[in-house]
Amino acid sequence: MAVKNNLKMIFDYFKLNLKKEWKYKSSFIMQIIMMILNDLFFIIQWVIIFQLVDNIGGYGFDETMLLWAISAGGFGFAHTFFAGAKNIKEFVYEGKLDVYLTQPKSILLNVCCSATDVSGIGDILYAFVVLAIIGAPWYWYLIMIPIIIMTGLIYMSVYVVYVSLCFYINHGDAVAKSVEGTINKAGNYPPAIFNTIVKGLFFTLIPTFFYTFVPAQYFFLTPNIWWILGTVGVTIVWVMLAFVCFNKGLRKYNSGNLMGGRL
Amino acid sequence: MSKYLSIYRTSFRQESKTLTNSITSVVSFVVIIYIFQQLWQFIYGGNGGGTLINGYSVNMMIWYMIMAEILMYAVNARSITRAFGNDIKSGKIAYQLNKPYNYFAYQVCSQAGAFMWKLIFLVPTGIIIGLVLLGPIKNFSFIYMLPILVSLLLAVLLTCIIYGAVGLLTFWIEEATPFTWIIQKFQMLFGLFFPPEFFPTWMQPIIEYSPVYAMMSGPCKLLANFSWELFLKVSVSQIAYITLFVIIGAILYKIGTKKVNVHGG
Repeated sequence: MAVKNNLKMIFDYFKLNLKKEWKYKSSFIMQIIMMILNDLFFIIQWVIIFQLVDNIGGYGFDETMLLWAISAGGFGFAHTFFAGAKNIKEFVYEGKLDVYLTQPKSILLNVCCSATDVSGIGDILYAFVVLAIIGAPWYWYLIMIPIIIMTGLIYMSVYVVYVSLCFYINHGDAVAKSVEGTINKAGNYPPAIFNTIVKGLFFTLIPTFFYTFVPAQYFFLTPNIWWILGTVGVTIVWVMLAFVCFNKGLRKYNSGNLMGGRL
Repeated sequence: MSKYLSIYRTSFRQESKTLTNSITSVVSFVVIIYIFQQLWQFIYGGNGGGTLINGYSVNMMIWYMIMAEILMYAVNARSITRAFGNDIKSGKIAYQLNKPYNYFAYQVCSQAGAFMWKLIFLVPTGIIIGLVLLGPIKNFSFIYMLPILVSLLLAVLLTCIIYGAVGLLTFWIEEATPFTWIIQKFQMLFGLFFPPEFFPTWMQPIIEYSPVYAMMSGPCKLLANFSWELFLKVSVSQIAYITLFVIIGAILYKIGTKKVNVHGG
């Protein structure tokens, strides 16, 4: 019941945020189209690279594009539904969390859902555009949907875990920004280029590989039930960690006594 | 001129208070250099040996990347466009119009001041990473440092002016940031990821006469393979594009402010 209620809340927030953004129709549409165009540029980068080498550790053009599709989709999902997480730093340091404290539902969920980045929709669409470009079979389009949801949840959960440092120290978002940047950038490259230590890091503290490589390899290219279950497990663990870290940090929160309201 | 220098200095000092942010941006910079270094080592095969691709050895290629990433990280294109956009959308610009300075020049100098602060961290970090990962650049002399630095500063200034002009588009459209994304991608594709020599022969002159060359490829090529002729070519291109985009910015600003008067600010 609680899950159903929370899902309903996420979609209600999403609808509300979309309505708000839709007020500027041309900007709304332009942001989505431009984001797709923006992402398409990276295809040219890989066309040139794969003219120089046939493959990078067994990853050719199609496989690398699959990494980009998953990464863009996950990033897009996270920013479409949970862009409010990016405001946690500001809410904590400026004492603006007060308005969320009195909400009946989870404070973290309320904060995360409070904003939508419309360009994220462009990223989600781009994931499917890439599938079309690489001539993916029809069922890959269906598999892509749960993958986008899982990788989006991993992305935002990792961000929340690290940004919760803001409750304890000044500039606590610095670590979160670095981790987020690393996941976002490193996840788009074939895993063979990284050495063992970095690979270990990308499976654990900075779960870059669960964000792109594991879904690409074990959901699409060489399906493996254990890796699939493992990815679901890792997603659940990171989401739970995000709630635990945020709620623990919340105990250290000092109100800014700021008068505010939410409409 | 002195008032714009004061604006520049104030912004530089203000940015110097955000030490943690500067250090964070360096961490992210190191990560991306590491990724590119690994990628290009792989493409060149192992340690690269003496292999040349389009005239570039693996060392030249990675030094090129280091310079390109310094430029990319120093200038936050989105923050420039957003600074203009926020002022125009919120109507704050109405309060700037009667000030004894040109708003376009004010914003460009203010942003440039902040980015120069970042260079203090990025340039030494880039040099250290390069020396640790690759060793010194072949045939490099310390005398080249000064012209390369001049080229770097001109590139930062030009980039600020170009994205500033894009920000002024907010006078006409609700959101100019998407244009920044696209221009940034041109900058990355034709400047950051590959030197012009990696593109088909018919495209190379187009790239070399484009603003991307002055913003990115030119200064990067100077570090990878310095020559005084190249320095002259890059400097001429940078000065020409700075002049052109200052004129474009000034025109956009002049026409745009009339639009603000129509809407009442």
